[in-house]
Order: sequence, then structure tokens, then C-alpha cells
Amino acid sequence: MSQPVVLATASRRKPLWRTGVGVFAALMIVCGVLAPLLANNVPLCARVAGQWSFPAFADYFGSPPPGPNDLSWKQWWSRLGPGSQDFAIMPPWAYGPGETDPALYRAGPSFAHPLGNDGAGRDVLARLIHGAGTAIGLGGSAVLLAGLFGTLLGALAGYRRGWLDVVVMRLVEIFLCFPILLFLLFASSLLGDSSLGLVLVMASLFWTSFARIVRGELLSLRERDFVLVARGLGISERRILWHHLMPLLKSQIGVTAAFCMASAIVAESTLSFLGIGPGQAASSWGNMLRQGSDVAYLGHWHMWLFPTAAIVAVVMCCHVLADRVRSRATEQV
Amino acid sequence: MLRWLLLRFAWLLVTLFGVTFVTFVMLDQAPVDRAQLEAAQRLADGNFADLSARDQAIVKLRVSYGLIDAETLQPAPVWQRYTRWLRNAATLHLAGPEVDNAAFWRRITEALPVSMLLGFLGLLFALLVGVPIGAWCGMNAGSRRDRGFSQGLFVLAGVPEFLMATMLLLVFSAGWLGWFPSGGLRSDGSEHWAVFAQIVDFGWHLVLPVFVMASGPLVLIARFLRDSVARVAATPFAANLYAFGIETEVARWRLLRNGGAPLATLAGSLLPMLVGGSIVVENLFSLDGLGHLAFRAVHEQDQAMVMALVLFTSVATLLALSVSDLLHRLVDPRVRLQA
Repeated sequence: MSQPVVLATASRRKPLWRTGVGVFAALMIVCGVLAPLLANNVPLCARVAGQWSFPAFADYFGSPPPGPNDLSWKQWWSRLGPGSQDFAIMPPWAYGPGETDPALYRAGPSFAHPLGNDGAGRDVLARLIHGAGTAIGLGGSAVLLAGLFGTLLGALAGYRRGWLDVVVMRLVEIFLCFPILLFLLFASSLLGDSSLGLVLVMASLFWTSFARIVRGELLSLRERDFVLVARGLGISERRILWHHLMPLLKSQIGVTAAFCMASAIVAESTLSFLGIGPGQAASSWGNMLRQGSDVAYLGHWHMWLFPTAAIVAVVMCCHVLADRVRSRATEQV
Repeated sequence: MLRWLLLRFAWLLVTLFGVTFVTFVMLDQAPVDRAQLEAAQRLADGNFADLSARDQAIVKLRVSYGLIDAETLQPAPVWQRYTRWLRNAATLHLAGPEVDNAAFWRRITEALPVSMLLGFLGLLFALLVGVPIGAWCGMNAGSRRDRGFSQGLFVLAGVPEFLMATMLLLVFSAGWLGWFPSGGLRSDGSEHWAVFAQIVDFGWHLVLPVFVMASGPLVLIARFLRDSVARVAATPFAANLYAFGIETEVARWRLLRNGGAPLATLAGSLLPMLVGGSIVVENLFSLDGLGHLAFRAVHEQDQAMVMALVLFTSVATLLALSVSDLLHRLVDPRVRLQA
């Protein structure tokens, strides 16, 4: 009796990006990408003596220009008279991640700073938002790179077989041997604070999962009858691989990407928690936690709790997304 | 079987060459080498009369670490130094050419027991807790308690080891409850205590680190076993068992044996996990194990030590992979061995 009802709901499932996790993930990505425009102590758009400038956007290319008349942008903004021709539009959250205020040393949550301030008087919320940028920027680019490279190699190895397969699988095994954290540790000691270096190293660790999954699936898919039919119709091997077979692996690749994203974020925050890597220079959750966990037992719990919550929430979000994609894929079959 | 073992061993050697070569080349790219770091440290301590004395010391240190040739003072090509490292490694002479090999090994052998103990206890705890949970959930897949446990494991999987460690430290140690010590392996002055008290003290210090070490493998084991047992419990084989009227206890045991067989394949991924965990745990709980040694070696650009540690962990991982394949074959005769 219940069977038709279940099927009916299953076929009319919401798309993934409209479910709770999907919305949260999208929000996190938006937060990360737009961090300099969401939380900053420089205006999005300002008019100074008839000149337009967009200091917050300059964060994407380097440091924003200093404020007018030897004042910081914020001082200048707060002194703007009502009749002035000049004006500024501040970001929605008008505190920067590096904006220090000695008066607010480790201040707890208050109305003006709902998540409190850290040891240098920096706003925790602003740092969290910028930390999302660090985590998602580093993790996302590493996973993207790893996904492209791993999928390509895995597809060629699984579909073409032969010597390429042997070489790729040996490479995979070599990289599987490295304990991720040990490898990242010594890699980042070589690369110093270079973000590009960390991305490359993480990508070089994560491509193996993509390659293994894609190869494993293709090994069985390539023996299926529809491939034989396609070949009989004279469709080129390349077209069979990329147009007929790879679209079938979309969900598997998505699941792998979500898991890799979670481990990339964990790896980045572990590194900056241990005091190495590019997270040291920028706002990063691991770095905030490093400072927070030292003082949490003194009663400054807010410096520890919020970065912890951010990391756990994002990692869990990745895991839930992976789970959903997987269960939906099996539902369709 | 013998053919499989030989093939497997050959591939193991090839992989080992690959791993060590990649590491060696990567370490070679460091902008600052160990000799420079050490000389800078000695300069800061005021050990050198002037800068030329420092430069001479750098050259000497580089020779002793095998970074440059002793006669020409020119850096040898990477492959040459790699082959020399290989030759030395074959005789287990893993320190630099003029470095005291015995002292080098002493550092490792002093650290090894701590890490082994942590890893072993962590794995044991993970198995003791993970297997019953996984098995129970798998046999009652879909029930309300299964969903509850699965959700719990899901949450646990989302907590990275360093977060788990800081959380536990804050709650159970220095921060709030103060039940457990925050680091080290024994209390101050415990060497004068009775033997039994010392053992209790030792165990008391191990509780938190072992729990953190176990958290990752526990989730992995429990979830893997749950899925695999649930899959077996849904097969006609299981229905057949019950239809024959075999006692529930016996039937469940058979299901567990069937569903637990693939667990052997996890060994390959558990070992790197434990190594990574030991780096975090040993640093946070200030234990002098291999993870701590690795952390220090990386900071000091100690190429020889990093190479030695990479060699050990990769040998251990590769052996674990081979053994797990063998185990899988022994438990489940349907499995074919592939090199």
C-alpha cells in the first residue's frame, strides 16, 4: 500500500541545493568568496572630494588603499558631517579581520560584537567570515585541481587499460602510503606560507581518491553492452568515454569531492592549529582556535567555541552532502 | 600463493622506491637547509666570532649531513645523493654520513614504544567499541536505534582529531572537571610510588590520548561494518539461515563473520590515519613519540629523520595492505588474490 506513495515523493524530491544542507553550503561558499565585501573596515564604495573609490574590492588584489587625510577609512567615515558631499557605503558588517582595538581585549560577546573579540581586540565574527574564505578558497581550489587531474588519469587508466593503468595505479599506491598530515607537515615547512604551494600539495594527495573511484567504475562500465553498441555505431572512443560513460559517474565524483573538501578543510585547520602554513598569515579557523584553546579555560570561551562550531558545522555539512548525493544516486537506479 | 607473495613483494619494493624518491626530491627543494638553521641558531647563541666562522661551520655541517661532497664542496646531483641514501638505508645507516648512527637510532627507539602503545591501544579501543556498534546497527538496519547510532557516528566523523583533543582537554582536564592530567605519561615524583600506583598513574595519563586516537578509526570501523553487515543481512543467505530455524545467536554470528570479512581491507587506510592522529595527539598531550619526533624533524629540516620516518610509515602501511589482503583471503575463500 505504501509503495506508490513513497515512489511519488521520491520522484518529486527537492533539488539538493534547496534543502537545508544545500542552503548552508551555498551560504558558506558565498561567505567565503565575498568575505572582503561582507565584513571589512573599509567602505565598499566611497566618494572623497568628488573622487570615487572602492577600497573593499581592492582586498581581492592586495591591500586596500589608505583612507583620506591621514585618517583610517573608519575614522574618516565617522567624522563625515551631515551636509558633506562625501559619503561612504560600509559593508554589512563594518569590522575588518585585522582591525585591532586594545580596549576590547578578549571581550566577551556583546551587542556590538555578538561573537566577542580576541586577544588583539579583533572582531571574532569578522575573522570567522574571512576564515571561511581561507578554508573554502584553499580547500575548494585543491579539490577542484585534484578532481580534474584525478578524474582525467582515472578515466584514461580505467578505459584504456594497458601500461597507463599499471603506472597510474602504482602512483596511486605511492601517494596512499603517505600519511596525509605528515606529508602536509613537511611540505608546508618547505613552502612556508605560500597558499599556492599548500593547494598544490593537497591536490597531489587528493587526486588519488578520484582516480581510484573513476577507474574502478569504468572497469566494469566499459564491458557493458551499450559501449559495444556505441562502438559498433562507429562512435569514436574519446566520445564514448567522455559523453557516454563519464556522465554516469557524476554522483560518484560529487561524493568524492565532498569528502575531499571535508578533509581539505580539516587538514588546513589542523596545520594552522599546529602553527604552520598559510593560515598563519590570514584569518583561519585553525589559527583562531589555536589562540582560543589556550585561553578558553580562563573564561574566554567565546574565542574557542565559535571557531570550533564553524569547523564542525562545515565538515559535517560536507559529509551530509556526500551522503545525500550517494543516497539519491542509488534511488535513481 | 607463493607466486602472489613474491609478486606482491616486488611491487612493494617498487612502491617504496617511489615513496622515498618523491620525499627525497621534495625535501631537496627546501629554501633553507638544516645546516643553515643550525648555524643561525648557534650564531644567535653567540657561538661564532664572526660571519666567516659561521660560513665555515655551515660547510662543515653540510658535509656531515651529506648535503655536499666532502672533497669538491659542490652539491651532488639529486639522483647521486638518493642512490647513496639508498645504499646507506640498505644497511640501516639512516643518519647522515658523519652523524652518530647509534644516537640517531636511539632517538627513534625511544620514541617508538610510546607511539606503538598509543596506536595499539587506540586501535584496540576502536575495535572493542566500533565492532559491536557496527554489528548491532547492521543487523537491525533501519530501526530507530540504528538511526540514532548512525547519526551519532556521523557527528563524531565531523569532529577532527585536534578539535576532539582540545575539547576533551577543556572539559575533562585543566579547563573544567580536572579529572585527567593534561599531558605527559606519568606524574611528577611517581617513580617513588608503589608499582601498582605507577601503573594506575600511567593508565590515567593514557585515557584522553587513547580516546582521541581511537575516535577516527572507531567511526570508520563502525560505519563500514554496519553497511557491510546490513548488506549481508539483506541477502537470501540470511533469510535462508532464519528459515532453517537456526538459533538467532548462531545466525547472527554467521552474519557477522560474513559481513566482517571486508573489515580486513580497512587495515590499509587505518594505519596512515593512526600515524596522522599520533602527530596531533602527541603534540597536544606533550608525549615523546614518533609523531612528536616527526614534528620536530620537520621544524629543524632534519632531512635524515624525515626520510627515516617516511620509510618506516610507508613500510608499515604497505605491509599492512598486504597482510590485510591475505587476511581477507583467509576469512573469505571467495576472494581472489591479485598482485
